[in-house]
Amino acid sequence: MKPQKKENLSPTNLVLSLKQNDSLLQFENKTDEEVWSAFDKGNELAFNYIYRIHVKSMFRYGSQITCDTGLIQDCVQNIFIQLRDKRGSLSTVQNIKGYLFKSLQREIIRKLKKDSKLGKDGLDQNDNYFPITLSHESVLIHRERDEECRQKIKKALTELTTRQRQAILLLYEEGLSYREIADTMEFSEVKSARKIIYRGLATLKDILQK
Amino acid sequence: MKYKDYDIIDFLLEEFFIQWVKNPDKNTRHFWEKWLQQHPEKRDMVLEAASIIRSVKYANSPELSDEMYVESFENIIKAGHPIPERKLKNKSWFSFYPLKNIAAILIFGFCGWMVHSHMIVGVQPEVPVEKEEITVRRTVPLGKRSIITLADSSRVFLNSGSEMEYPKSFNQGDRWVRLKGEAFFEVKKNGSSFSVFAKNTEIKVLGTSFNVKEADKDLSVALVSGKVQVNDQKGNQVRLNPAEMLAIKEDGKFSKTSFDSLEVTGWKDRILVFRSASFREVKRKIENWYGVEVSSNGKVSREWKYSGIYKEETLENVLRGIFITSGMQYHIENRKVTLYNPK
Repeated sequence: MKPQKKENLSPTNLVLSLKQNDSLLQFENKTDEEVWSAFDKGNELAFNYIYRIHVKSMFRYGSQITCDTGLIQDCVQNIFIQLRDKRGSLSTVQNIKGYLFKSLQREIIRKLKKDSKLGKDGLDQNDNYFPITLSHESVLIHRERDEECRQKIKKALTELTTRQRQAILLLYEEGLSYREIADTMEFSEVKSARKIIYRGLATLKDILQK
Repeated sequence: MKYKDYDIIDFLLEEFFIQWVKNPDKNTRHFWEKWLQQHPEKRDMVLEAASIIRSVKYANSPELSDEMYVESFENIIKAGHPIPERKLKNKSWFSFYPLKNIAAILIFGFCGWMVHSHMIVGVQPEVPVEKEEITVRRTVPLGKRSIITLADSSRVFLNSGSEMEYPKSFNQGDRWVRLKGEAFFEVKKNGSSFSVFAKNTEIKVLGTSFNVKEADKDLSVALVSGKVQVNDQKGNQVRLNPAEMLAIKEDGKFSKTSFDSLEVTGWKDRILVFRSASFREVKRKIENWYGVEVSSNGKVSREWKYSGIYKEETLENVLRGIFITSGMQYHIENRKVTLYNPK
């Protein structure tokens, strides 16, 4: 029966609590739905946990849409401030990362449009978003054609459409499932997520099946 | 199509395979390692697919700086409005809070108090709060104890000077009571949870027996059987096991200890228990138990402690038992007890 430590959760202590691991210990084995529901009920450790786990990937995700880091930071903050204000009446969320990505993308696009840095049609018009690459770190199997092959795949990937690149990055880099990708990219059907990735990968077929 | 008929694109599209590459767990690891052993001809293809999956990266991947990480967190915390209390409660509780109802509750509560203190009979004023939710408020005057059976046949022992509000029927499925003072709960299991709200704290249980005591500015929850979860307003959660007691201080600090069950819950069986109690504790317990006022003209040494157990004893017998050994005398007049040192 060890005594439980409890924080006095004033703003200062909340900030200090970023350096402690209480939230990780309490929530790392919980499902996203449980974490989200705790957050909705006002649990500050749950918020702390969500922030820790997701804010870095949110920032990185935002960087795929704009290189204005100040704007990304603003948007990330706005999202969390709004969510905290709505605690007590938040809807359930099964995949927190996907949900935050979707919110962030909407927020960034809204802001860019407001500042007239983006046309009405949003991202699809422009091809600079979600730049993709193939890293060196893993070695392909057929060593002799390694580098050549890698360059070809990389080129093919960069020639994909923005949405295809985005979906492939969500699948491989972020490790989201098709369902989560569909949620994040606001497809009404899960199979649309699979389809967009299939179309993207099909262009690699010739290179890969040599 | 079976995995052995897959080509590289199929593997690149297969969620279960990507899972193994990106976030291997016991399940995926076991399967794919075994599968590879059984299909060595697919090994190159599988490893190439895995290699591609691992190599796909953002071309542009800036890191959030540590300063921004902390600064954003601070901005978020400070920008927020405190969460409205009502939003965090469940619906039936929510209906308690709107301002227009508060006056009604206070007036009825006051009337209830008047009736009690004048008649000293177990009267139960009913407080209609709004149409859908009829709640009952019960107060127990000093010197009295009361047993209440709730709509779900859970039993509540309400200690002297305590007050409880609860819905007359738990028709929406959620069972709750609001407590001021001390009560012992014997909650019947019926599938839905049962919440005790005391001092901005929610004590949530399924079926169990436990004691809740709100004294001065502190709150304690002692669990006799079953399981309870305590949620405070700051979102902290503590689970208790049988024979554990949680004490929450005014400043929110809490600690878990074991407890003497007779000392903590004896009151419900009309047993008055002192366990090395200080003079102040003894005085307060007697005042609560018998509904009297105790004043002292004498001197009591700081080290003075008293232990004793009384079952359904009169005030006179208890006073005699306690103070005879301490060399003090007592005098009872009306509902006032005076203690003094003999000349």
